[in-house]
Amino acid sequence: MRSNNGFMPPDNDEIIEILNLVNESDFDELRLEMGGTKLVFSKHAVASSDQTLEPILKGAPAQVEIKQPIPVEKLQDVGTETLTPTDIPPKEAEAKEAAMIEGEGLIPIKSPLLGIFYRSPKPGAPPFVEVGSHVTEDDTVCLVEVMKLFNTVKAGVNGRIVKICAKNNEMVEYNQTLFLIEAEESTEGSSAP
Amino acid sequence: MKNISRVLIGNRGEIAVRIIRACRGLGVESVAAVSEADKDSLPARMADRAVCIGPSRSLDSYLKIDTLITACLGTGSDAIHPGYGFLAEQPELVEACEKYDIRFIGPTADNIQQMGNKLWARRAVEKCGIPTIPGSEKVKDVKAATAMAEKIGFPVLLKAAAGGGGRGMKIVNTPGELKTVFDALSAEVLSAFGDGTLYIEHFIPNARHIEVQILGDDFGNVIYLGERDCSVQRRYQKMIEEAPSPVVSDKLRKALCEAAVTIARSIKYKSAGTVEFILDQDKGRFFFLEMNTRIQVEHPVTEQITGVDLVREQIRIADHQPIKYSQGNIQMRGHAIECRINAESPFSGFSPSPGRIERWKTPLEAGIRLDTHCYPGYIIPPFYDSLIAKLITTGADRPQTIVRMQSALHQFTVTGIETNIPFHQMLLKHPDFGNGKISTRWLEDVVLPNLRSA
Repeated sequence: MRSNNGFMPPDNDEIIEILNLVNESDFDELRLEMGGTKLVFSKHAVASSDQTLEPILKGAPAQVEIKQPIPVEKLQDVGTETLTPTDIPPKEAEAKEAAMIEGEGLIPIKSPLLGIFYRSPKPGAPPFVEVGSHVTEDDTVCLVEVMKLFNTVKAGVNGRIVKICAKNNEMVEYNQTLFLIEAEESTEGSSAP
Repeated sequence: MKNISRVLIGNRGEIAVRIIRACRGLGVESVAAVSEADKDSLPARMADRAVCIGPSRSLDSYLKIDTLITACLGTGSDAIHPGYGFLAEQPELVEACEKYDIRFIGPTADNIQQMGNKLWARRAVEKCGIPTIPGSEKVKDVKAATAMAEKIGFPVLLKAAAGGGGRGMKIVNTPGELKTVFDALSAEVLSAFGDGTLYIEHFIPNARHIEVQILGDDFGNVIYLGERDCSVQRRYQKMIEEAPSPVVSDKLRKALCEAAVTIARSIKYKSAGTVEFILDQDKGRFFFLEMNTRIQVEHPVTEQITGVDLVREQIRIADHQPIKYSQGNIQMRGHAIECRINAESPFSGFSPSPGRIERWKTPLEAGIRLDTHCYPGYIIPPFYDSLIAKLITTGADRPQTIVRMQSALHQFTVTGIETNIPFHQMLLKHPDFGNGKISTRWLEDVVLPNLRSA
């Protein structure tokens, strides 16, 4: 993601710094263009009327909603988790997946730990969910086992399973995407992005 | 039995890189088990595969035995190398490996248990007729401690039976201090290690830390690879290590090395290990301190003067192969010094300095080795220790090795974070270091007070 006219796009640290500055300021919105990169920060859920935003961070939304200052631990998380060193390109597969998720408005269900992924409560039993299943946030979608200890994974959102991303009976890593869900309107009206 | 063909590395940082290199040298595949914070790290990229085992906090990732075993089985790895720190000296990991038919690249669970408890270790060593520091097995209360201290003489050192790595010890100079120190340390140790047992020993003011590298295999072979002098310490943390020691004569070396082999043999020790001794420079006597049942941070200085790849030998030994060398074909040649380069501010209380490395210009010259996982742009996460590199120089003799280290430190440019490189430069220039006239208290008693008044 090098810009085409010599400007380096801001990195995560810089973006976080900009976010903090905006957050501490009285401004509601900031638009920033650097080289081929356009950034819009808004304190409201939706930035006013710019539809041509390009996401900069893999996996991060182009519009960032800030209502409270980001706590320090969160900043460290962002810094260490998503930052790619300058001399190494981001892993292609991850970038693709992130782009797809953003593009289609899908929400990933991620594995809370490393373990063996099971789609059914026991061998031979029908799977918890299939592609197309409608789930509510408390529904169990799979099990992840570590040394005979079975951890249930909940959907976390109301929606429809669009894709199953892991293979039954195989190891999944911590934070690996297990399912993609298309969010559906819930009756409680939780804050939609 | 099947040979080891894929090794899961349950560690991070420079030692993970070191293990991957050793695997490559043997044609063995490597899998890096990494935390979230280390997903983009150098070992994660260098290994044939990387798996994310959990969140950044080591309690949720690098310290989880079950997760490590699951990752090993799930990636088809047939062995685990634990590196140092984290789970390296946890007998539970060794036992879990045995249960799932995974080769643990390290000693047996018995070896670890035997040497992990200081009182048991002391008993085992005394049985071999090797001196331990005069003191008691344990002291129940202040009264017993006072009686014992009078017997062995002040100053004394109070130590936690379950402690290690410099934690849980205090020097007591006078009988008056004993009660306060005893109560405070006992409480501290109970909360830190879950075991408040203390023991007391004679404190040697003019001491050197000398340790002997050994290797043992399944066939009862045990060899020594000479000593390392690790007397430059701050709060019992080593900063500079060298081999051979500038104060150990050939006769003393033989005695130390043979003592180390005797101890290792007595417990049927397998894999790489280190027997640590305290050398009383005033009286010319040495005492057993403890045995570390793992590969150590400072192993490269031994590799440099012996030409033995210790990590490779560890893997071969875990593969039930005999040690490649007999004692007769181990030769020590030249001198080697290692400086531990940490991300810390030595001139403001050695506080850690995590962050992004901007410039990273490493020295390149004959006789320089650099073990590191860092590169320009790398972010040092705040979750782990501050070791970012081990700079090792090798030369024909000690003066040449010191000159090379000074040159290497001078060329080593790191910006974006604070490092202790300037501090090492100062130590290497110090006449006491050059003359070899130091003790384990030198850094704290001589160097640091002058630093503050300067």
